[in-house]
Parts: sequence; C-alpha cells; structure tokens
Amino acid sequence: MLDFQRYQIAFTAHIRDPNANKKPAKIAYSRMAIYREIVFNNIFGSVSACFPVCKNVLGARAWRKLVRQFFSNYQANSPIFREIPQQFLQFLTTVENLALFLQQLAHYEWVELAVSAQQNTFINLSKKPDLLNEIPKLTPAHQLLAYDYAVHKISKRHLPKMIESTYLLVFRNAENQVKFIELNAMTFQLLNLIEKNNLTGKQALSKLVEEMKHPDSDAIIRFGVEIFADLVHQQAIIGSTKI
Amino acid sequence: MPTLDDIKGVGLGLKRELIPQIQRLFHDPSIGNINFVEIAPENWMGAGGKAAADLAWFVERFPIVCHGLCLSLGGPDPLNIDFLKQVKQFLAQNKIPLYTEHLSFCSDIQQGKPGYMYDLLPIPFTEEAVKYVAQRIRQTQDLLGQRIAIENTSYYVSAPISTMDEITFLNAVLSEADCDLHLDINNIYVNSINFNFDAEDFLKQLPSERIVYSHVAGHLQLASNLLVDTHGENIIDLVWALLNQAYARFGPFPTLLERDINIPPLPELLFEIDKIAALQAQHKMKKAQAA
Repeated sequence: MLDFQRYQIAFTAHIRDPNANKKPAKIAYSRMAIYREIVFNNIFGSVSACFPVCKNVLGARAWRKLVRQFFSNYQANSPIFREIPQQFLQFLTTVENLALFLQQLAHYEWVELAVSAQQNTFINLSKKPDLLNEIPKLTPAHQLLAYDYAVHKISKRHLPKMIESTYLLVFRNAENQVKFIELNAMTFQLLNLIEKNNLTGKQALSKLVEEMKHPDSDAIIRFGVEIFADLVHQQAIIGSTKI
Repeated sequence: MPTLDDIKGVGLGLKRELIPQIQRLFHDPSIGNINFVEIAPENWMGAGGKAAADLAWFVERFPIVCHGLCLSLGGPDPLNIDFLKQVKQFLAQNKIPLYTEHLSFCSDIQQGKPGYMYDLLPIPFTEEAVKYVAQRIRQTQDLLGQRIAIENTSYYVSAPISTMDEITFLNAVLSEADCDLHLDINNIYVNSINFNFDAEDFLKQLPSERIVYSHVAGHLQLASNLLVDTHGENIIDLVWALLNQAYARFGPFPTLLERDINIPPLPELLFEIDKIAALQAQHKMKKAQAA
C-alpha cells in the first residue's frame, strides 16, 4: 500500500467510527468535523427516508446507533445511491439480537423503493388474454411476498405480539404508482404456483385442488376466475402468454 | 445524436423536483437558455418505472452530460470495472456524449474489504497520488473509448502529507492522464477561502485548452474562513466575479448551474441561468469586437 493510501484509510476509518479510530495527526479536529457530519448525515438521510416505520418503532436514539453501526462496520459495495437502503437491509441480517419482525418490517419498507425502480422488461402477451388456458402474467415490476408478521400493520403503538402469516403482492401499475394488495393464503399459493412453474390458470388451479385435497374442484375454478378478474381490474395481471 | 459540440451555452443540473417544471415549461421561451442538462449516473442507472420514463423524455429533448460521483478515481480500492462497463452502456443507450468525474475519492478499504463512503473526499497532493490517479483516469478513458473530464473538488481538510498545492496537483494529473478539465468555479472560490490562497492566481494557471465546461453554484458560510460547498444557496457576487474573470481569460465556455438542496421554484433558478447566458453573450461580443 502506498503512503497516501495509508493516510486515506486512516481518514475514512475516523469518519466511519470517530470513537474507535483517531483522526490522522496534524489535522484540526473542527475541520474534520465537517466530514464526520456530512458523510454520516448523507447516509443517515438516505437510510432514514426508506425506513420511517423502523425508525419510529426503534426510537430516534436506537435508530441513529443502528445506522452508525451500519456505516462503521459494513462495507457497502454498490455505487448506486438508490441501493444504499438495500445495503442497509443486508447489514440488518448480520445484526445480532434484532427482532425478526424488525427485519421483515425493514424488508417491507424497502420493497416500495425496489418495485418503484425495478427495471422495465417486455413480455410478449397474447392479443386476447385467456387466463385459464394460458399463463397469466403479473406486471413485470412486482414482488410476491410472504412475511411471518403483519408487517403492514406495525407501528410504534402496534408491535406484533405473535406470528401472523401475511401475504402481499406489491406491483407497479401503468401509471408507475406502487400498489400493495394483501392476499389470502390461497391466492398467494395460486400466484406462486403460476410464477414458479409457469402454469396456465387451469393447471395452477387443479394443482391447488390437489394440494388442498379440496372436494369441489368447480368451486376452486370459480374462485380462481374471480381472483384473476379482480387482479386484472387492479392492473396487477396484465394478460397472458401462450405455454 | 448529441456530440460534445452540443454541450454549449448554459446547463442545469437535473434534480427530480425540477423535472415536472421543465416538462411543463418546455415550449415556454422563459427556459430558452437551458441548453443542456447534467445527471449523476449513480442516480439513474438501472432504474425502471418513472425514472426511466423521465430520462427518456430528456434524452429526446436535451443534450445530457453524465457527471459521476462514485467512480472514486483516487480511491485505495480497485477501480470498479463492472460499474464502469455499466456506465459505458448507459452513455451509449442514452446518447450521452460526455462523462466527467471528480478529482477525489469516495470509497475505502477496511478490514480488507472495499466499501463506498458515498461522498467526495480529498486526495492528498503527493507525487505518488498524481501517478496513481492519472493511471486510473487513463484506464477509465481506455475502457470507455473516450476522454473524460475531471472536476477540481472542494475540500475542508488539507492532508499534512501533501507535498504540493492544489493547482500543481490538478495540473500534474491533467497532463499525466491527458484528460479534460471540468472546471468548478465555486470550488476554486470555496477552497481559496478555506485554505487562504488567491483564487485569481489559481485561475491563471489553468490549462484553458482542457476546459470542457464549468460549474457554478452557491455555498454555505460557516465561519469567515470556512465555506461548505452545499449547492444550496444563490451564487454570491465574488463567485460571479470569478466566472467573469474566467470568461475574460479563456473565452465564454459552457457553464452549468448546480443546485442540489433548498431548491427554489424553477423561475427563481432562471435568474441565475439567464445571468450566466448574459455574461457569456457579453464576452462573446467583446471577443468579436477585439477580433
């Protein structure tokens, strides 16, 4: 390592964690304060903007400490500013003694940003959608999510007391707005089957009947048709593709 | 397809808040002096949705410059080649003729792992650093297949290990790397106050043939001898005077207004845009008269 690089690393080590690392010699402490503040505040602002509920649940002091820990100990490897919250999310998985509901809440808060910026991909849809005999297609910018807690109901006053399986479809509509739909377990499983295995609506529904050992397969088909119609109406399903 | 020649007149740093206003006023003569816009690739690369739609709108209507923040030309960790390849693709996709970066570093290595700091930190002014940074600039230019320009950066702490002053360092890097200069007028002023040197003297020593365009911006005064380059205030008279001197010395080069925080409504920014345009016109006329 070159001399000037040794200085650079001492310089950034102090900015990252001023309590643990002394500033390089012969620099005015007051001048160094500018870097200590602007660099941390930039990251603190970017992370805080993405996770307002986590911040609120933890309280200002604990939140600040957590972001400082992120900045001090975690080497973020993406040069893209939008991805700072994602780096923070990865860091959270390394934090000991952090409640699982907080990790999941953070993921839920991050998803809005992720889906809003998810890249556009083109799907070659059939001219006439046929959701039962072809593969129903969700709009490409979406995430199908399962959480152990009702993450969308958490606030400082409503901390989760128990496990409550929660299924969400988060997607970006044609107007580029991010929408959240809470799903029941069956709908989640239906969409999951379609997506994972590239099944037609009908195939996925018969698989569902099989898995549930449901006696009335017609009822399940009717259920499926209704669900599809609703998701089309909400702009989550945009059409279908041939097998 | 825009070329370097289309980066002319006055530009404006593109912030999200300004986008709907520019779109609304696009056919209005009041924004006629905005000739080009500048974006940070780190804010736009890889984004779909609204950001992609907005970018496409501007690509069709304005010449664009990419002004990077995270390449970390002076960083102790290896140059991020994957990122640079993505930048190259981004420039091509969006018909962007120019990429500029800062003469600074924004990443480090701790416990053997590289990581981003997401801010511009000052490189110590040493011989070793000149060679190191120049080599990385050349590597960047080779990979992109085009010249880049580097910006003289504002800073607040002078490294005790420095063996030369800022202008010597800047000129040494420019000539060793053979790259262009993205001249920041406000940064000259800010540094001249923070480190007590003569801004005009700095200006005189710049290689005019390397200037591609310049920045002007406002800053925050924390103490009589301490300015912070916030891009959050109006441009002060002394910075206008320095821009005027630069035009007088080098001719009226393209100039872009940066405003990153406390962003006022567009019509207020247009005062400064129009003022730059008027100053450029004045110097063009003087030059024509002298010829």
